[in-house]
Order: sequence, then structure tokens, then C-alpha cells
Amino acid sequence: MTEKIVVDFDHHSKEYRERGMEIARETREKCPVAWSEHYGGYWFVTGLDEASAFQKRPDIFSSARELGNPDSVYKGITIPAVNTDYVGGFIEMDPPKQLEYRRVLNPLLSPAAVMKWDPLVREFTNACIDDLIERGRGDFVEEVTNIVPAVLTMAMIAMPLEDWVIFNEPAHASIYTPPDSPDYPRVAEMQAQMATRLFEYIGQFRTRPRPGMLKALIDAEINGEPLADVDIMGTLLLVIGGGFDTTTALTSNAWRWLAENPEEKTRLMADKELWNTATEEFVRFYAPAQGTARSVTQDCEVAGYAFSKGDRALVSFAMPSRDPKHFEDPDTIKLDRFPNRHAAFGLGNHRCIGSNLARMQFKGIMQESLARIPEYAIDYDGLQRYETIGTINGNRNMPMTFAPGTRQGPGLQATIEKWQAVLDAEAVAASA
Amino acid sequence: MRVYVQEDVCQGHTQCFMAAPEVFGLREEDGHAFVKITEFTPEVIEAAKRAALTCPEQAIVVEP
Repeated sequence: MTEKIVVDFDHHSKEYRERGMEIARETREKCPVAWSEHYGGYWFVTGLDEASAFQKRPDIFSSARELGNPDSVYKGITIPAVNTDYVGGFIEMDPPKQLEYRRVLNPLLSPAAVMKWDPLVREFTNACIDDLIERGRGDFVEEVTNIVPAVLTMAMIAMPLEDWVIFNEPAHASIYTPPDSPDYPRVAEMQAQMATRLFEYIGQFRTRPRPGMLKALIDAEINGEPLADVDIMGTLLLVIGGGFDTTTALTSNAWRWLAENPEEKTRLMADKELWNTATEEFVRFYAPAQGTARSVTQDCEVAGYAFSKGDRALVSFAMPSRDPKHFEDPDTIKLDRFPNRHAAFGLGNHRCIGSNLARMQFKGIMQESLARIPEYAIDYDGLQRYETIGTINGNRNMPMTFAPGTRQGPGLQATIEKWQAVLDAEAVAASA
Repeated sequence: MRVYVQEDVCQGHTQCFMAAPEVFGLREEDGHAFVKITEFTPEVIEAAKRAALTCPEQAIVVEP
């Protein structure tokens, strides 16, 4: 049995944000599964083999959260645990129920299905660029990468596209605000307002449904029963959380890296074949979702460690994807890295259900942005990473400067109206 | 020799399909992978071995 090694580790700390991967390097060799005393104590899993073992045993490493019982073993996927009175979607569930939910949404998220949205991503990226290109400066996060994934998520759920604004701040703030922040109660209140808005919308939607994720959820049967509004609402919160924040993080980090590595940027722009491996490599290196927690449901021994019922564990996605046992030169971005069996989309039954969408969006946003603004400089005085990256490795702001260019289209507002009309016509056709 | 994807291990990362689209297909309902050919030439075996290395779940089996 491997000895329990205690490390001073807090995934929400500034130190993790600034030195997380160094800490991982220092600790991984001697203890790929370490113990931290923060937040009541938790295991911290950094090795790829160990992270894989954890994520392939949902029976003993549970993602579920039991509502209304603070003493329950089942505490969900965050450390510290959240305390809402609804389940936040199937990310907080175990099989078989979790797989039933995925069965409902999987057909809308397959590699072939997501390509339907490629034109929307490219057109909205150009619309966002049109709104800033004449200025010669802009905020890549606030004005591009916050917007495109958010509008796309609204479209795929079948909500009004202009509603992206309502969910934008709470979706990001609930992720970047550390649990001990004085601002946390305000953010929790915004989250509650999001839930209320979704409830209202689900009610209206039932009377006039249209194609998309929400209709799939309303039409679905899980364990032979239709879903209650609260379950649909929890699922939509997950779709919004996963849809808004992760791709924003990935694209903005890659945008910064390309500014800092102009030769690699030139190489990527010239070589279409490079985009598949480059996309996986950016996902591996930046790990937009840094990891998720599990609850140990029984005393057990896994990967040489002894765990007790009730233990909590944070399974990193980021650190296993830098494990030198499996990745050559793991702390370097290699655009043509192959093989690249990274764990950044998660492993096992909770593999990111939007991974194909993420890849499509990443390529669309990056290619269109680079075509319009091939040369740019990051304004480091205004660059602001998330205060905590313990959940998502994101950026709040990424101001940049570039040589002013010319508009090619009518901008965001007109593009929202145009696409809304297109989707409305599709909905009418579908119900005819 | 033959190549197959362990259905209960594959989680739909689609990396095999990106690495060797001539060998692997993806199911419409969930994007999980399957071997789409029946003739295992040396070229196919090589491509499949290469793809197996990049599978995050290590779901691909190349049998001698």
C-alpha cells in the first residue's frame, strides 16, 4: 500500500493559478495521488494512470450529489461542494441515469451533427470582429470569445439568441469567483436568477416547442418517465455552463499563445492539416476544465492507495495531461503532437459531451479571427485571468491592439436578428 | 490479424477517427467508434496501431 503523502495544495488558490503545473511536477513523481488538508481534506489525483482508474469506476468514485443532506457521502463534482436545491445536470449523476441523459443529447453533439453549426460560428465570429476591427483595439474575451459560444449555446438549446446576454455574466462569474470571495453571495444570487429565467422559459416552450436540445429533453423519457421542469432546468444549466465558459477559455488561451509564438502562428495559418492535432494540443495544454471531484462510496483499494467511504477526491484533467510517463516534453506545446491521449475532456463515462462541438468551435473562431486579424499584440496591463482557475482555466479580459481594418458585415446585433429569423423559419417548417 | 474497438471502453473521444478515418467510423447516435472495414491489410494494421496509441481510453485492440 502506498503511503499517504500530505501536500499543501488548494486548487482555488493564487498559487495554483500561477504555479499549478510546477506543483504538479514536484508532487506527481512521489505521489500521483496526494492528500490536501484544505476544504475538509481531499485526495488530489495528478497521474494519468491513476486519473484513468478513478474515472472508470463510477460505482466507487461517484459524481452524484444528494440534495438536502449535508452529511451524505454523495457531495457532487466540486470541492468545496455546492449547496443548491436542484441537481446541476447529469455531470452530478452516476450511471445508469447519467447515461440515459447522455443518450438524449448525444445525437445532437456527434461530430456530424455539430457541423450544422459551423456556419453560425464563423458568421458570428466575423460579426464580432466587424464591431471592433475599425478601432484597432478590442477585448478578445469580452468582444469575441464570450459571445460566439454563448450565442451558439442559445441556438442549440432553442432559446432566443439575444438571451445570451442574460446568461453571460452569471455563467462566467459563477466559475471565476472563488468560494471564499465576498462577492460569492451576489454570484449565487445571479445563478438563482438564471434558474428562474430557465423555469419561465421551459414553461412557455412547452406550449410552442421548436427543434433543439430543449425539445429533446421535453420529449425524453428517463427510466420510463418524462422529465420534470426542475430536471430539465438543471440540465440546461449544465449545457450553459459547459457551453459558455470552456470554449471561451480554450480560444482565449490559444489566442494569447499564438501572439507570443508568431512563427507557430504563421505555420498554423499556412497548414490546414495541422488544425486537428493543434486543437487537441491546445486542449491538452490548457485543460479548460481543470478537473472534477468524486466521492468515495465504499472502503477500497485502487491504484495502490487505500480510500475510505466518505473521502473526497479531486481528479485533475490538467495534470494527468502533462504526465511525463505518457507525454514527451509535456510542458511544451507542439502543434503536431501525436499521439496525444490527453485527459483534458475527462475520461470514462463523463467524457465531455460537447467535445466535438468544442473542436468545431475552436477551429471556427480561431480561423476566422486570424484571417481578419493576423497580427495583434496582447495588452498585458489589461489581461486578467480568472481569479480562481480551480474549475475553469479562463480569462476575464484579454485586450489587444492591431492595425485597424475594414468592416465586412453588419456586426453582432444585425447578425443575431438575421440568424434568429433563419432559426424561426426552420422551427415553423419543422412544426408544419 | 484483426482490429476492434472495445465498446464498453470507448467513450467517443473520436481521436482514432481523426488519426485513421480509413479504418474507424463513428456511430451516428453517440459518436462512439467502430472498425468499419473487414480486410486487415498490413497498412490497415499499421494505421490502427498508430490510432490505438492516441486513444485516451485505450479502447482499441489490435490482435496478432
